[in-house]
Amino acid sequence: MGGKKSIIILLLLAAVLAFLPFGLPRFYTYLTALIVTMGLLSTSLNFALGYGGLYQLHHAVFYGAGAYAAAVMITKLGYNPWLAFIVAPLVAAALSLVLGIICIRLSKLYFGMLQISLGSLVWAIVYRWYGFTGGDDGIHGISVPSMIGSSKGAYYFTMIVAGLAMFFMYRILHSPFGSTLQGIRDNAVRSQAIGVNVRRHQLTALVMAGFFAGVAGVLFVVVDTSVFPDMLFWTLSLEITIMALLGGWFTFLGPMLGAAIIVLLRTFVSTVTEYWTFAMGILLMLVILFLPEGVLGKVFEIWKRRASAEDRS
Amino acid sequence: MPGRYPLRWVSAGHGFIRRMTLDFLASLCSPGVLCQILVGLSRTVILFIVASGLSLILGVLRIPNIAHGSLYMIGAFMAYTVSRIFGGGITGYCMAILLAPLGVALVSFIIERGIFSRLYEREHIMLFLLTFSFALVFGDLVKMVWGAEYRTVPLPAFFQGSIPILGLPFPIYNFSLLLIGPLVAVALWLIVNKTKMGKISRAAAVDREMVGAVGINVSLVFCIVFVIGCFLAGLGGALVAPIVNVVLGMDHTLIMEAFLIVIMGGLGNIWGALLGSLIFGLTQSLGILVWPQFGIVFPYAAVIVVLSFRPTGLLRSTW
Amino acid sequence: MLEVRGLSKSFGGFLAVNKATLDVSKGEIVAVIGPNGAGKTTLFNLVTGILKPDEGQVIFKGEEITGLPAHKTCKKGITRSFQVVNIFSRLTVFENVRISVLSQQGKTYHWFRPSREFVNEETGEILESVGLINKKDNVCGALSHGDQKVLEIAIALAGKPELLILDEPTAGMSPEETARCIDLIKRLSQNLGLTILFCEHDMELVFAIARRIMVMVRGSTIVQGLPEEVRCNQQVQDAYLGGGDVCSV
Repeated sequence: MGGKKSIIILLLLAAVLAFLPFGLPRFYTYLTALIVTMGLLSTSLNFALGYGGLYQLHHAVFYGAGAYAAAVMITKLGYNPWLAFIVAPLVAAALSLVLGIICIRLSKLYFGMLQISLGSLVWAIVYRWYGFTGGDDGIHGISVPSMIGSSKGAYYFTMIVAGLAMFFMYRILHSPFGSTLQGIRDNAVRSQAIGVNVRRHQLTALVMAGFFAGVAGVLFVVVDTSVFPDMLFWTLSLEITIMALLGGWFTFLGPMLGAAIIVLLRTFVSTVTEYWTFAMGILLMLVILFLPEGVLGKVFEIWKRRASAEDRS
Repeated sequence: MPGRYPLRWVSAGHGFIRRMTLDFLASLCSPGVLCQILVGLSRTVILFIVASGLSLILGVLRIPNIAHGSLYMIGAFMAYTVSRIFGGGITGYCMAILLAPLGVALVSFIIERGIFSRLYEREHIMLFLLTFSFALVFGDLVKMVWGAEYRTVPLPAFFQGSIPILGLPFPIYNFSLLLIGPLVAVALWLIVNKTKMGKISRAAAVDREMVGAVGINVSLVFCIVFVIGCFLAGLGGALVAPIVNVVLGMDHTLIMEAFLIVIMGGLGNIWGALLGSLIFGLTQSLGILVWPQFGIVFPYAAVIVVLSFRPTGLLRSTW
Repeated sequence: MLEVRGLSKSFGGFLAVNKATLDVSKGEIVAVIGPNGAGKTTLFNLVTGILKPDEGQVIFKGEEITGLPAHKTCKKGITRSFQVVNIFSRLTVFENVRISVLSQQGKTYHWFRPSREFVNEETGEILESVGLINKKDNVCGALSHGDQKVLEIAIALAGKPELLILDEPTAGMSPEETARCIDLIKRLSQNLGLTILFCEHDMELVFAIARRIMVMVRGSTIVQGLPEEVRCNQQVQDAYLGGGDVCSV
């Protein structure tokens, strides 16, 4: 798979990201932090969807739960922000466990549809609970620690946390647990026959995916200092799925790439026209029809073909 | 265990609960509350019509059609335009009810033949995302064609005013909706169970390869079912147009509710959609009465309760 | 070791298995034979827990395991191979067996160290014992059908079973591959002392290695016994072996 090539590219990227805030205006720093947050979220979705084979159709709930948990803890309950940042992903993971236990009995699309229903319930509660969650206004001006309050501070915090999260997800996916999970995805019956408790492994994967989505939620709070109910709405869940699909959902970094493409496209298309939703719809259609393996998936395919052509010659 | 608590406490507790329940039911039976419940039910007739279309498509084609909400919205906007063209009033309304759903059916026919039918062999999730892409496209298309402000469709004079039910005024239009709902249900049932096409589509829902092997053009069956389902979405939109603000974003909340109803009732089951809509409407009305701020949560909670006892829905699903 | 008593299963009115009985003693090689559709695979599915029986009992090593889910029967010591090749087709041969070994050793929840650092020796041993060690890095989809069926057996072996159930292990194999498979089964029984239960259509194979045979027709057990008894049984001849007198000794 061009191992050396990939490492060089990643190192270059890391270098660019490290020095970005010093070269570009503040808006781009904010945008990059947002991209990385969305990329982390999309990768956590892919954890359950691409690697686990689970129809995780309402992943945004866990993202929103993590973000709201952090926001509410800081503003309404007065917790120390650092404590809130640690507890929030755990809240998201707990929610993931609860929803998972309810939905796991169902297969495939049923699982996804029930998750959408339950997620919508959470959204409805958050949307209406004006006193606690700010209702449809959301919560703004969340005070984050001054060290990471500045634009640069938030940026580097996001990079470091997201980098760690991606690292951990990568290790998990290549560990025995990850292999087992992929085995379940490819052949659940066979996995059962070799002694794997399929449901328990799937639940564990869901909790992990929910945890990392919660981390992404915390990062958003840091970057944007606000939360709003749309973060829990099913349209966001589908947007994240589009990011994963566009980037390539059988690859690890595909979703991150997809997030970058979508966020950048949205930012620039929105300056030209107000019909970004239309453009995204067309883009999604084209990807499904012509590029189902995603951008990164296509790139890897081309690399592999070239490598085997070289081997033969 | 007998004798655990003093007997008089037990009977006192029972009596208390019984009195509370009777009081609650009595308050429900007051004309005002009953009327409100009926109004809520008349709105859920719309939900039923849209959900039955969704259920049909889900049952036969196995696709959760997220674009269903957008088609409903297009139906409402088309009803507005047709009604304007025919000068409002009763003619405008009748033409709207006739032409708007047909227009939506035409749109759905085009996208089915043009794009969907090529992709039936793909995994479900891809088809699901494809319907989402259409939802996105249609959402903005409506903005492009009709603009971003809300529209109102005038209620024809025939439907204005109210008739007394239980001594309280009940809007005539809502009353007619309550009549239309069961009519649509019966018509659908006849089509699905009594026509040849209906029987074929039910067979295709269970085993599409077998149906194809017997020489039937499965693709054509899917097309017909899809168009009928989308026609229903458009019909729902046209019917609701006179009593709500026709506005962008009406697709989002509706599709969620339609999904809930379909899941609760059993995928692909028309009577399930009816039952689900009833439960949804009742729990929503009751919920708003009992706890106004969180009334909207009650239908969702009902879905969860139903699904914990019957994970595949109340009635038999075709999956 | 394994006792099946009165096991039944129907699918919506179709009685696939009808009060089947089976006895397998420790160390034996037992074959289940019967015409297509007799319910052999369903019987195996019921014993291993992929399906739940409507009635009847399955007793393994004196313990009742009726209706236990598949992953639990595997942990009790029963593993199986599948009739239609059922492997992790996206992975390599080595990774396929490795997953099975990881599961057997209970290491499937390790989440930090990469898979490739685990259980390489044990996996290699198993692949050597079935003769697939040279193809360990091939992606399964590219293997020949015969090799895939041997891989099936390897995956089942990795579960360190006491009872190995093989569902038509030589179906679709060429004569050389079949001969190698027979060898393998004999070795597994002798060297590892495995109890083996299998079903087959190849009668020569069955009568060559099976110590006892159970005959199933339309879901019921007709007869269980030594090969000569089965061969001479009139019912079996009529239903399966084509009638006539095959009992020349």
